[in-house]
Amino acid sequence: MSAAAPEPKANMGRPEPRLDARLKVTGEARYPSDMPVGHPAHAVLVTSSIARGRLAGLDTAAARAVPGVIEIFTAENTRELKHLDYVPGGGGPSTSVQELGPEIAHDGQIIAMVVAETLEAAREAAHAVKASYDRQDPSATFDSAGVEEKPAGKEFPKAGDAEAALAAAEVTIAAEYGTPTQHHNAIELFTTTCVWDGDRLTVHEPSQFVYGLKNALAARLAMDPAKIHVVSPYVGGAFGAKAQMTPRTALVAFAAKTLGRPVKLVASRDQGFTIATYRAETRHRIRLGARRDGKIVAYTHEGREVTSRPDAYKVAGVSDTVRLYDFGTVATHVSVVHADRNTPGFMRSPPVVPYVYALESAMDELAVRLGMDPVELRRVNDVTRDTVSGKMWTSRSLMKCYDEAAAAFGWADHKPEPGAMRDGDWLIGWGCATACYPTHLGATAARVRLLPSGEVRVQVAAHDIGTGAYTVIGQQAAERLGVPLAAVTVELGDSDLPPGPVAGGSNTTASVCSAVIKACDAIREKLLRAASTSNEGPLAGRSPAELSFTDGRAVATDGAAESIADVMQRLGTAAIEEYAEYLPPGAPADGLRRLYGGKAVLTGGPHGEKIMYALGAEFVEVRVHARTREVRVPRAVGAFAGGRIMNTRTARSQLMGGMIWGIGSALHEATEIDRREARYINDNIAEYLIPVNADVPSIEVIMVPEEDAEVNPAGVKGLGELANVGTAAAIANAVYHATGRRIRDLPIRIEDLLA
Amino acid sequence: MTPDLFARPEGRSSPAASGLDRRSFLGAGACGAAVPLLGPVSADAQAAAPPDIRQPLDLTLTINGRDHRLALDARTTLLDALRERIGLTGTKKGCDQGQCGACTVLLDGTRVLSCLTLAAMAEGREVTTIEGLAGPDGTLHPMQQAFVDHDAFQCGYCTPGQILSAVACVNEGHANDPAQIREYMSGNLCRCAAYPNIVAAVEQAKAEMGA
Repeated sequence: MSAAAPEPKANMGRPEPRLDARLKVTGEARYPSDMPVGHPAHAVLVTSSIARGRLAGLDTAAARAVPGVIEIFTAENTRELKHLDYVPGGGGPSTSVQELGPEIAHDGQIIAMVVAETLEAAREAAHAVKASYDRQDPSATFDSAGVEEKPAGKEFPKAGDAEAALAAAEVTIAAEYGTPTQHHNAIELFTTTCVWDGDRLTVHEPSQFVYGLKNALAARLAMDPAKIHVVSPYVGGAFGAKAQMTPRTALVAFAAKTLGRPVKLVASRDQGFTIATYRAETRHRIRLGARRDGKIVAYTHEGREVTSRPDAYKVAGVSDTVRLYDFGTVATHVSVVHADRNTPGFMRSPPVVPYVYALESAMDELAVRLGMDPVELRRVNDVTRDTVSGKMWTSRSLMKCYDEAAAAFGWADHKPEPGAMRDGDWLIGWGCATACYPTHLGATAARVRLLPSGEVRVQVAAHDIGTGAYTVIGQQAAERLGVPLAAVTVELGDSDLPPGPVAGGSNTTASVCSAVIKACDAIREKLLRAASTSNEGPLAGRSPAELSFTDGRAVATDGAAESIADVMQRLGTAAIEEYAEYLPPGAPADGLRRLYGGKAVLTGGPHGEKIMYALGAEFVEVRVHARTREVRVPRAVGAFAGGRIMNTRTARSQLMGGMIWGIGSALHEATEIDRREARYINDNIAEYLIPVNADVPSIEVIMVPEEDAEVNPAGVKGLGELANVGTAAAIANAVYHATGRRIRDLPIRIEDLLA
Repeated sequence: MTPDLFARPEGRSSPAASGLDRRSFLGAGACGAAVPLLGPVSADAQAAAPPDIRQPLDLTLTINGRDHRLALDARTTLLDALRERIGLTGTKKGCDQGQCGACTVLLDGTRVLSCLTLAAMAEGREVTTIEGLAGPDGTLHPMQQAFVDHDAFQCGYCTPGQILSAVACVNEGHANDPAQIREYMSGNLCRCAAYPNIVAAVEQAKAEMGA
């Protein structure tokens, strides 16, 4: 076993290579913009250069004169498109701002789309479109004139009298934290290709929710969703940005219909910053009160988040942070600040990344104030019964994670005084923090077909956005039907398949595997009944309960066996196909119907009868150069418990990638905003810094065995959004340990440490 | 200087706001610099009127050992020629401005960014894309196999560029230790952050490539 393919421990599946690995290393995996379509026209977007006001004029004469230009779509000639109400959640429109003007609600709003015979002509013409505006001063972000602040809901998690507990606490800390605007910046761009065949539309677009896209697009086009086919077998990174329908899709579909030929759009990198969503900047004020022995008695957390003028998108991560420890008393509040910006949206671990960063930084400040080891502070406040709701946890392995990660990291050698671990010109700092992510479950369907040869086909419109979904879903079917993984074919990412859940909230593996188990069990039952109720054959007269499936055979406990082919011959059938639906506990009774209609149905986390979370502990070493104040992260260790691990290879890769995202969050990533123009300044991936290979020397991932029969039939908690939570706090805590400087606004940059 | 064909239309510095029209800028200012890159234009023509950049150029591109005859808008990048005209979509567009490395191909064995390479500049040279790396019988190149073995990707979108860059990295002699591999592979961004696995893959393939 190599580092990439860890030996499975208890309750972990084998590190099978990805089913799509060969396709991805040969260039044969076809992402949506790779799909060959006959003779497409090429589209280029034109976006606004003001953030607030009205389009006074749009001169397209010069653009139309460019040879090869076919049509220019503007607000004038796209009025047929229907406006959809904004509903936060997977599947719906990403923003209320769907028209191409004349109202301008944010910088970089689409105001026109040029379609031409070639990409080169379309690009030239797009530059020739001249817009004039009636400009108003925009409000950019927190503290800008003209923003509107409103509570993000009516009720916030609360327990006991936190103010009284704080007033009486032996030790208190209070601090404010900030996190910046971040953009997903998947390497794949936002692309859409639309092809009409009569009244039927095929859409090639990378999507985290093909049923949502199909239904929302149908509503914008006022057509029957059954006539739309969304095809998205591979997605070149998503991270939340491709879960909702952005305004471009309907525009391209409309253009293709109007022109009677396929139209292909590949939006530019900078346009991706404004035509889709992002992680909005947040601010936090936290107070913690504790006894001298470290027991926390009060936790208050006020969060503020930026959103767009029309849409009240919020993440409100206090719903998660209040579960983390035994706080005694809790008071929380969240408000949203409406500014003249595009509407934010899901970005990997939306609520917990900013809110857990703030809480885990505050926990470290409390540990320092108490003179207590930060690991011990977590141990003293470990929880089994939720402070706010009184609910129990299904399983909780936080301190196991801390203990395993601490041992692997060598935390025992930690010298807590800041600056105590210098190595020449490098100031060494160690820090740790908790990672957590709610276990979500989505309504889903799945279809499984078994042939006499033992070949299995699994079909579900779920999505592999790099997570390994193809592989782990295949493993689940192979395990349940007792066939080798090589005999299993998995089809995903196609809206003609039975609906799958949105690839959001880290629910895909748990939900889809639960549905696949159900379908496979129905197949097993048919086969076992055929084998055991028959008058002849090696298994005649056996009880189905004593039979199982291995190596393509039904096998009795005493070793008697019959091949799948023979059992199916006995049944007189050439294929067994089962369709199954999985409706998680707590989901509305019509959850599957809603899913067919393109609505994501997610439950779990803190919302069920018990509290369900995946947890982890992360330890990092930072080195801060004494002269240049450059911050490096030479090593990081994370230990994670997420219920059943389907595949230790793909799980480790996701957790490792998550921790590197955390390094980016701590030290690199921030979308800078020009406050006068409410405009993103560094809207490209040279100036929007993300970690590169040289930033990441050593990442150690430990998977802690955990069994949880209560979360779902698959026993899976979900890992995709776990490991990038907490990392930034661990790094900020380590920077404090190295330098004695507590940097509370991310990212931590050289200039923060120079003063 | 290379003409800025890839800037955002309207948004960043609209012609109205800046007083500079990108088309006239391209036509008048940058053409002199662009012409030497385009080969077929004679010195006389260069001295006279600027050529019409929209006139198709007749080109023959040699890709993965096979010749492709094309008539292309002179502004067509090698990346767009591969993807939109020849149908070789293994080469990916991630930024179109030389920042991400997803479009990396080999030009006479040297790694180049195909989004910053005009198709015309590739005439007479050997272009190798991800589709040309495996053997004729489908046997994966050692670098491709190493990427599979070490799970050196997740979404897979940057992977063709990573693999071609990695092949060149080894052939350049820049894969002598993990730190050097990390440094010389840092022009290829991976947002899924498979970086440690990419380094392990390059180390394995290097041994098998005999470099």
